Amino acid sequence: MYRIRFHGRGGQGIKTAGRILGTAFFEEGFEVQDAPIYGAERRGAPMFAYVRAARAPIQERGVITHPDLVVVADETLVPVPAANLMLGVTADTVLLLNSGETPDTWRQRLNTGATVIALPVADAITDRAALPHIGTRCTGAAARLLGVISRAALERALRTELRALDDASLKANLDEAFRAFDAMAAHEGVVHEGAAISARAYEAPDWTDLPFEPARVAAPDIFAPATSVQVRTGLWRTMRPVIDYAHCHRCVWVCSTLCPDSAIHVRADGAPEIDYEHCKGCLVCAAVCPPHAIQAVPEHEAAKIEAGGAG
Amino acid sequence: MNRQLLTGNAAAAWGARLAQVDYVPAFPITPQTEIIETLARWFERGEMTGRLTMLESEHSMVTAAAAAAATGVRVFTATSSQGLLYAMEMVFTVPGWRAPFVLVNVSRGLASPITLESDHNDVLATRDSGFLQVHCATCQEVLDHVLLAYRIAEDSRVRLPVIVNLDGFTLSFTREPVDLPAAEAVQQFLPPFDPQNVRFRASKPVSQAVAVLAGSPYSYFRYETHLAAQQALSVLDEIAEQFFQAFGRRTGPLATYRSEDADMVFVMIGAGATKACEAADRLREAGVAAGVVRPRWLRPYPAAALRAALAGKKAVAVIDQDLSMGQGGVLHAELAAALYGMPNAPMLASIIGGLGGRNIPPEEFYEIAKRMLGFAARGETPPPQLLFTERELRQVRKLQAIAVVERKELGEKP
Amino acid sequence: MSDAIRRMKDLPSTHLLGTGTPMCAGCGGLEALHQIYDVLGTNTVFVNAAGCMTLLSVYPFTPFRGSWLYTAMACAPAGAQGVRDALDILLTSKRLPPEDDLQTIVLTGDGAAYGMGLSSTSAAIDRNLDFLYICYDNEGYGNTGQQSSPATPHAAQTATNTGSRGFPGYKKDLFGIWAAHRPAYVATVIGAEPLDLAKKIEKAKSLRGPRLILALAPCPTGWDFDPAESVEIGRLAVRSGVWPLKEYIDGKVIHNHVPHPRAPVEEYLKTQGRFAHLFSPERNDALLGEIQAHIDAYWAAVNK
Repeated sequence: MYRIRFHGRGGQGIKTAGRILGTAFFEEGFEVQDAPIYGAERRGAPMFAYVRAARAPIQERGVITHPDLVVVADETLVPVPAANLMLGVTADTVLLLNSGETPDTWRQRLNTGATVIALPVADAITDRAALPHIGTRCTGAAARLLGVISRAALERALRTELRALDDASLKANLDEAFRAFDAMAAHEGVVHEGAAISARAYEAPDWTDLPFEPARVAAPDIFAPATSVQVRTGLWRTMRPVIDYAHCHRCVWVCSTLCPDSAIHVRADGAPEIDYEHCKGCLVCAAVCPPHAIQAVPEHEAAKIEAGGAG
Repeated sequence: MNRQLLTGNAAAAWGARLAQVDYVPAFPITPQTEIIETLARWFERGEMTGRLTMLESEHSMVTAAAAAAATGVRVFTATSSQGLLYAMEMVFTVPGWRAPFVLVNVSRGLASPITLESDHNDVLATRDSGFLQVHCATCQEVLDHVLLAYRIAEDSRVRLPVIVNLDGFTLSFTREPVDLPAAEAVQQFLPPFDPQNVRFRASKPVSQAVAVLAGSPYSYFRYETHLAAQQALSVLDEIAEQFFQAFGRRTGPLATYRSEDADMVFVMIGAGATKACEAADRLREAGVAAGVVRPRWLRPYPAAALRAALAGKKAVAVIDQDLSMGQGGVLHAELAAALYGMPNAPMLASIIGGLGGRNIPPEEFYEIAKRMLGFAARGETPPPQLLFTERELRQVRKLQAIAVVERKELGEKP
Repeated sequence: MSDAIRRMKDLPSTHLLGTGTPMCAGCGGLEALHQIYDVLGTNTVFVNAAGCMTLLSVYPFTPFRGSWLYTAMACAPAGAQGVRDALDILLTSKRLPPEDDLQTIVLTGDGAAYGMGLSSTSAAIDRNLDFLYICYDNEGYGNTGQQSSPATPHAAQTATNTGSRGFPGYKKDLFGIWAAHRPAYVATVIGAEPLDLAKKIEKAKSLRGPRLILALAPCPTGWDFDPAESVEIGRLAVRSGVWPLKEYIDGKVIHNHVPHPRAPVEEYLKTQGRFAHLFSPERNDALLGEIQAHIDAYWAAVNK
């Protein structure tokens, strides 16, 4: 059975990516199971989709804990614990990352023996409307890595799953998918069908007897204030607002008040400061800044500048 | 001792008054209404301090009850039948708040067809909610169990809301002598509610009843609620002993009547069970060793006590005043689960009777005993039996005939 | 917190509401809520109904520095009743020092406020409950993917109205329904107009009894626009007269801002994907005209 997990963010077309791949398998005569998994969280929040395909009816269900292929549509998910990218990844797994960085860099960074393949990001994405293409690109690449999906089956699947799109968007998505499909030619068939999960030798669950705990502990109550600041919603960001302090008028009641996420505070010197740990990158601040002193920079470029010490 | 004739509804109201409840969110429904009317009068006259607030639905009423309990006051409320079901979303929601309060349910059959008299489908619909539930057989038990319910609900080892159930009409509107305990004695038995750290105060902010979005923390909170409900059994034993010391009346998860040496045992809950006790007396006079086992508490479920009480009996007949369509009697199924695999398990029979207040006359108890012992002697288990006679069927036929005649009068064909 | 907010400069930038919530980037509801929270302060208990903002508090994370209670979709006002009654009982019996008292706040979306929770709301107003109801109105069941709610505007496409005419109904007048109960205070606000909002919250805070703050909440996800446009769309809602900023107090309705000149409603509609079918593949002049006429009629009545 092929077990494939797609990781991305809400709004990147991950659910559709899973369905395209599922349909492509189905077109090739496989039995298929595909589903998205998302919490009630939002656009920009981590989510994933999975696809199983086999020649016989599939009885496994739910989360894939023994993946053959893990597709990471958004590299900024790597440090996000909730994304749980590396769940069940072994030396037999193939990791496909949508990233400008090299496979070696990722192998080291992730400290993994898995086969890592990078799908170079097309261009710097500055137009957020282009984001839905990410899913289709990843699907195109994944189809080639599997080696059992023809170009024709992929196209039929794309046309089926994207039938609601207008002609121009459909063409853009088809182009993206095929460019990725072609780019992966050298890796065709690198993903192998995983074996059944053996009952002969397995790691037993460490079950425990839940002890009784009094209600003051065991009720879903929170006794500390503002614990949400521990959630780093800054990781949702694809575009980063950057303040040009030379042009900032210090009219903080504009940006600081209008930031939906309370992520712009006012420094002691009266200047605004963006809390990048929590800024989700909505860019409301850039849109409302009276002197236009806030610029939007693609997150991976901003991160590069930061790493280079130029920020 | 102050012995008075009180209805079950009055006994429930007196329980709330003696417990010195602070707050009563209320909504009327037959046959419960008298309880809130009585309490409203006492609040108005200043005989109770605190507040009674009329809500616009039972759904809101249970919400307000739990929210007030979560704010740290002692709360009492009451409903019945359709009202309990209208509140059902919140009945399943608020036990997870772990805010204790007492809800009296006056049992009444559920629609459709809508009816007024008692059976237990309303309260049994709450059995998986996290509310504890206790079933009363006398007006005295109603008063006693309101007091006991507060002790158990508020105990830091439990912290769950409790439903005290009494049968509509057969208890709610029926007067019996009731010992009204002295207020001082009640205050000693039931000290003021200590909400511990679960309450709203400006100086101690808390977020209560927050969401979880994953199966693991959800399992933890749900299972902890289950453990607390189970733990209520041992807490109950302890508190029942204190209750006996204070008021001289025995209580506990199970009431047994002449069951120790019985060959044949009736299992029933609620007021109908006293009729089974009467039948057991008469059966013994007729040479049949009959007895009664009556679970007072259904949540927590006293499985071990039931096993001990029923081990070695020849025949046990569960008389369910409820019906799970497509399955049968709810209490029968639960008891079968409790007795399963027990080496000296009795023959267990299912009787459905008393739906919508349908009377169970003594002769039916006698006949059940006779037939069940016959089956047991042959090593057989009978199929479920509905208590319904030829004569009743003839009556229904007459009603149906009238129903058709009315249609004819409207010019339609039957 | 300042004693009186008169100018933009006076707006508090305390940001009492914590960051790190799971609301969507650019959420107009969250934008309003954090501004409201800065004025109300932390001596509050927010009683919440099922909706997007239920997810503000997901164990063990909460952005609140004050208190919170989640109830269910239909009954947040009843939860507020229970909390308020309990606090009153504790105060009267001297079991709660006055400084430990809390303002009782209800927080719901439009699904609860205009629909499922309307009965419990109406009854809470009937009982003259001392509470402040905050509704973040994103004009649809946003938490489930923007199906039509009783707050959905005419012609908007929703997940349940995908046809070329959009939603056939008209947005319910919740302001009017509240005002008909003769409560202490009713006001419309929007996060994009923070000064107007802060003044109204200050006023609401100074009053007792049932009070409604109805906040239009531009919703990038449900209305289909770029999150950066959230504030501009909010301002356009006011400029075009779609969202009148008004108050009900002492039996009278006061419009705080009469847009003049009033922008054509098209300017507002064009910004959102949910109205795109009115412009493409071809302009639907009839429907556009109808929407404009509705707004014109509203303001004609106001200016009379």
